[in-house]
Amino acid sequence: MRNKYFSVCRISFIQELAYRSKFVVERLQSVLQIFLIFFLWDSVFSDPSREVFGYDRAKILTYVFGLLIVKAIVASTKASDVSGIISSGELTNYLLKPVGFVKYWFFRDISARGIHTAFAMVEVVILFVILRPPFFLQTNLVSLAGFLVLIVMAVIIFFLMLTLVSFIPFWLVEQTWPPIFLFLSVSEVLSGAVFPLDVFPYAIQKVLYLLPFPYLIFMPIQVYLGKVVGMELGRSLLTAGLWMVGLMIAVNWVWQRGLIHYRAEGR
Amino acid sequence: MKTLKKYGKVWWIMSRNALSGAIYSKLSFLIFLLGKVVRFNFFVLFLFYLVKGTGSLAGYDINQTIFIFLTFNVIDIVGQFLFREVYRFKPLILGGDFDLILVRPTSSLFRGLMGGADFIDLFTIPILFIVLYFVGMNFHPQIGDVMLYILLLVNGLMITAAFHIFILGLYVRFLELDYVLWLYRDLLNLGKLPVGVYKQPLRDILVYLIPVATMITVPARAMMGFVSFWGVIVSILIGIVGILVSMRFWKYSLKYYTSASS
Amino acid sequence: MERAVIVERLTKEFEVRERRPGLGGALASIFSSKTKKVKALKGVSFSLDEGEMIGFIGPNGAGKTTTLKILSGVLYPTQGFVQVAGYTPWERRHDYLRQISLVMGQKNQLWWDLPASETFELNKAIYEIPEKVYKRSLDELVEVLKVEKYLHTPVRRLSLGQRMRLELIAALLHKPKVIFLDEPTIGLDVVAQQKVRDFIRQYNKKNRATIILTSHNMDDVADLAKRVVVIDKGGIVFDGALSDLVNRFAKKKIIKICMEGSVDYKKLERIGTIEEAKMPLVTLSVPRGAAKMAAAELLQSFPIEDLTIEEEPLESVIRQVFGGKG
Repeated sequence: MRNKYFSVCRISFIQELAYRSKFVVERLQSVLQIFLIFFLWDSVFSDPSREVFGYDRAKILTYVFGLLIVKAIVASTKASDVSGIISSGELTNYLLKPVGFVKYWFFRDISARGIHTAFAMVEVVILFVILRPPFFLQTNLVSLAGFLVLIVMAVIIFFLMLTLVSFIPFWLVEQTWPPIFLFLSVSEVLSGAVFPLDVFPYAIQKVLYLLPFPYLIFMPIQVYLGKVVGMELGRSLLTAGLWMVGLMIAVNWVWQRGLIHYRAEGR
Repeated sequence: MKTLKKYGKVWWIMSRNALSGAIYSKLSFLIFLLGKVVRFNFFVLFLFYLVKGTGSLAGYDINQTIFIFLTFNVIDIVGQFLFREVYRFKPLILGGDFDLILVRPTSSLFRGLMGGADFIDLFTIPILFIVLYFVGMNFHPQIGDVMLYILLLVNGLMITAAFHIFILGLYVRFLELDYVLWLYRDLLNLGKLPVGVYKQPLRDILVYLIPVATMITVPARAMMGFVSFWGVIVSILIGIVGILVSMRFWKYSLKYYTSASS
Repeated sequence: MERAVIVERLTKEFEVRERRPGLGGALASIFSSKTKKVKALKGVSFSLDEGEMIGFIGPNGAGKTTTLKILSGVLYPTQGFVQVAGYTPWERRHDYLRQISLVMGQKNQLWWDLPASETFELNKAIYEIPEKVYKRSLDELVEVLKVEKYLHTPVRRLSLGQRMRLELIAALLHKPKVIFLDEPTIGLDVVAQQKVRDFIRQYNKKNRATIILTSHNMDDVADLAKRVVVIDKGGIVFDGALSDLVNRFAKKKIIKICMEGSVDYKKLERIGTIEEAKMPLVTLSVPRGAAKMAAAELLQSFPIEDLTIEEEPLESVIRQVFGGKG
């Protein structure tokens, strides 16, 4: 049983590297996006003593670098491929196989992530050398542990959310890219991928932290930076955990319903 | 004149078909629109609060920063509106359908470049221009500045065209260099912010290699009344040279393609 | 002994959305969209013994692919009873899926950018095939289909014929007991078609696999299936031996003549209908019962070098089956 999904990972790995130029360009894109954000903040804080929204130059640039790593781990996903597979009817091929579709995709997803993360690490080192930002190394074990747990949950949460959106073609056959685009546009901001979320007024922050988005990027970075500790850390882990479980149930439910619909239509 | 009419008709029919298809997916239409609006608004709000809080960004105040962002959107959206077909080019080449196009009595360049107009932009572009007008008025520009702005915008679009032509040429010549298009988009994206924000060597790349500065920051500065005579001349030169070089490259790629076997 | 495939009164209805033409139609659809109920299958019944191979034929849209999809568990029926290898297909139990295979000529399961060998490895894991069994099956299949050279080339670089053979291997690695073949020879050249047919026949004999084959290519049917089930507009029109089908529905016989000298066509036409005339060859069609007499008369009245009496091509027989009885 374990062997089955390991094999999926393996072939996924190979597939990602099959198109080397594509892979390289995807990495380049990621780097360029980071450049944009880095230089933006670097410029805002060109005066190193300046403080805006509670951040100074060191902190914000650490955030940006944390962003690079966390984003690489969480954001590179294959879940959106599911959308096209359902829409085109390719799902039929998968239905014929004795394998759980969602599980199958999850393993494809994490193996794709694995590669992108590995390369992101290399990029971080290179960019670090080039840009020389101040960097903060976390030594507190609790914070580190919390960070790792949150990252794992972030990966799963993002996968589940994107999978849910990718299930839309079950009912609306042509809606493959548009809903995903909308979802990504929204989550990009609300997850803290462009700017740290504590830039928002406190009232908005409280609402935001009830949603799953901040736990994708912002929270993991904050925990790493040691800015979220103790009770707050506990609360964050709990909220993220609840979302994770809730989304798992939702995905399962929608999958069953969607499958019934798909098979009634006979694509 | 006749050719113009003919191409106009072809473009209209292709776009009309695209529109029919888009209307049938009326939901797609709306969702996409919503996504674009969300993205746009988020960034404007962000810039607004950012510059408000910090006073200036690379020497530009709020209005100027937002105006540069808006100018970026004009180049980005109008460029995509006109040249959307380029995004669909890869399957055309890989599937061998390009041969069918070469056989038809229409310029293959035209066919690969245009005719896939995305009608969502018919909504977004007018709104964009309205907002542009209001923000631009804050600079109290003289009529000369406005004309210069429009001229340099058109020049920026010419550079965009040159890029798309070049990318089409790459497709035809190499068959697999897909993602240059996405790279171009990402580099163009850096133009959301005033180019002065970026440090060397990135700034040089954006000024000389992929002339994002020429396409966006320079026209915006014209509106603000900051651009020099030589700046304008150089920009236009870049535009003209760009088109000439890209068309030459296209011809070369086409020749290579048609003389090679499948 | 229980039969391998049992289908009783299988019915399937679809809801289809209609698209109206033109820009005006597109705009109108914003306000209202029409859906139609389509009955793809109307009470289809048939059954197969283990190891039996049948041809499942019918015009496009008759319901062939729908039936296969229900039998393989992909679709739910609206009504009816189906049992394959003792299982209810649409429950999609993994144990069931491990015993069947659906090969669709148009849809590929091989990963496009990778060599076929990678897909095979993946299938080995998914179907939980033990290593030794896998090696043996793979070697056997590769040898028979002669694809050893192509195992490690990315699939997208292969020709359709090579790809189809590899698809067959991917579909058969787990030694399924029931196989559904949907247009397996579509797009292949004549030589490749024969190779695939020979392979299927061999596989059926050797492994006692139950096979349902659909094809528009009548050579496939004639070569492989002794029994055919003919389906049209969602209902079964004929179920029996292929020879019976021809006898019942073929109204004419074909007489092929090789002429020695020149010919008066008007005289020829009094005996039968001229289907084709490319001197010195002439093809005539005559009513079935009159074939012998017509042949005798021809030999008497015309300078004939050679004459043969043949059945109508299967395609036109089938067309007559669908064109309505009688």
